[in-house]
Amino acid sequence: MSSPALTLAVPDLGEPVISVHDVTKTYDRGMVPALNGLDLEINRGEFVAITGPSGCGKSTLLHLLAALDRPDRGQLRVDGNDLMRLPHPNRYRREVVGLVFQLHDLLAHLSAQQNIEIAMFGTHRRRGEQRARARQLLADVDLAGQWKRRPAQLSGGERQRVAIARALANEPRILLADEPTGSLDSHSVEQVLALLRRLRTEREVTIALVTHDMAVAGEADRLIRLRDGRVDQD
Amino acid sequence: MDEPVMTFVGLVAHNVWSKKLRTILTAAAVAIGVMTVVSLGIVTESIKTTAAAVLKTGDADFTVAQNGSSDILSSRMTQAQLTRLQHTAGVESAVGVLLDTQRLNAQNPLFIEVGIAPQDLRPFGVKIVAGRPFDATAANQAMLGWQIAQNLGIRPGATLRIAGGVKTITGLVSTGNVFGDSAGIFPLIPFQAHEREPGALSLAFVKVTKGASIGTVAARIRQGNPSLTTIRTVSQFGRADQSYTLITAADRGATILAVIVGAVIVANTMLLSLFERTREFGILRSVGWSRGRVVALILSEAFAISLLGAAIGVGFAVGVVSLLARLPSLEGILVPSYPTGAFLRALLTAAAVGFLGALYPAVRAGLLRPIAALNHE
Repeated sequence: MSSPALTLAVPDLGEPVISVHDVTKTYDRGMVPALNGLDLEINRGEFVAITGPSGCGKSTLLHLLAALDRPDRGQLRVDGNDLMRLPHPNRYRREVVGLVFQLHDLLAHLSAQQNIEIAMFGTHRRRGEQRARARQLLADVDLAGQWKRRPAQLSGGERQRVAIARALANEPRILLADEPTGSLDSHSVEQVLALLRRLRTEREVTIALVTHDMAVAGEADRLIRLRDGRVDQD
Repeated sequence: MDEPVMTFVGLVAHNVWSKKLRTILTAAAVAIGVMTVVSLGIVTESIKTTAAAVLKTGDADFTVAQNGSSDILSSRMTQAQLTRLQHTAGVESAVGVLLDTQRLNAQNPLFIEVGIAPQDLRPFGVKIVAGRPFDATAANQAMLGWQIAQNLGIRPGATLRIAGGVKTITGLVSTGNVFGDSAGIFPLIPFQAHEREPGALSLAFVKVTKGASIGTVAARIRQGNPSLTTIRTVSQFGRADQSYTLITAADRGATILAVIVGAVIVANTMLLSLFERTREFGILRSVGWSRGRVVALILSEAFAISLLGAAIGVGFAVGVVSLLARLPSLEGILVPSYPTGAFLRALLTAAAVGFLGALYPAVRAGLLRPIAALNHE
């Protein structure tokens, strides 16, 4: 019996690429609520900032959208994929969404280039193509020539840009960023935001960015504010 | 220099080498186990080879020895038992010999002495290639295998101090195997007297009549003579050589122990690695790695460490066996050969150690929920 295929077709621009309906998520066997019947939609190509107080469910929402976790109930559709019935969550994370975290999460013992290449394991790209793609992505995030450097040899902003390059390795149409500027100085924050704006313009990548920082949120097209696991303001 | 493209194998090597000291210490533990396994394997194999060579001396279909003797040289049977063998249905001939060993000189520390009646030389398959046979009762006569005679520069008519006195070498013999061709052959009755065991025999070499089943005749002999056993193959050698059985058992026991100890050490290392790298596995899952790929990464890293241990262990084993073979007490007895099987065993031991040691950490890493791994502090 064949399992449902992962949807990789590109739908029309403007239609919801992310659709969240009545999603509830709790932790500690229901004792700690995170999302409480959340409903929201994000259109293709949008740059959306998701804000709210600590514990409002921002990161939980991003983890659910990345298929890193499952909701207790509700419906989640991302780029045509029903996340409640995802046949290949690994392939989904590899090809549909790209993830960026606050702590950049590069592997310390690998170079910038190698950190990007490991995201292409299991794809059909040949070795030479992988290297060329990794170098191109580093050039795209203004780190051309830095491919040999280890994370410890890069600044915080540079590391985060490598992490963004890694998230784009398999040409995802959606970028999910969890506090990507949270541990950066103001100059690096500006660099990362400029990069995200450029990605959205040049690659038409849909960006969902979780942040506490209202200045960062102000750079987005749309601001969604969560409170107690629901949309408080859109 | 250009940065090579990171492949799965490259990542395994990279990860293993990034923790050099831990890798080396774990590999050293595996190496000790592999060394023990390979050394014992080589020693056991060497004893098997010696045993096989002794048993294949002559034209016999199988050998009869005392059941359960401590070693083949202490096997004893009586002339009456030999006569009964000779009269067993299906037996064409049964030749009784008395065996002993002595140190001849530094070059020939294990000189095999065979006492045999002159009329049994031909049925036994011994061919006289120079000189003449000894007389049945001549205590001062002997023959030598052509190989040892050549090494010692002795021709028929020469004298040599062996088996308790000066003997005239009446002839040189060929038996078709290296041990027989390096042995001394003595008339049985004087040799039994010299050994102070009149009428005693060590082994009987049995040839069955044409058309008879060797297995049936051997079984018949065992049934009719409970104190005797028959040996057709090297694997049956333990029936008449308890020391061989013991060393084989020790070999197997050491292998199991080495695998268990090695696996525990590898498991310890891989578990430590799992705890340290939980977040890393979460990152890999978040960029699209499957559970299987994470499991394969850990198993491959463990296998790489074990393989390194195996390489070191084999090197040490060859050194240890070479040293053992040079010990005066083992010179000539332990003739090390390095069969492919011994190295294959090292590889299998390393693979077993790596697989068993990494199985639990790998499965545990594979079962980690990506979000839990990413949130791991």
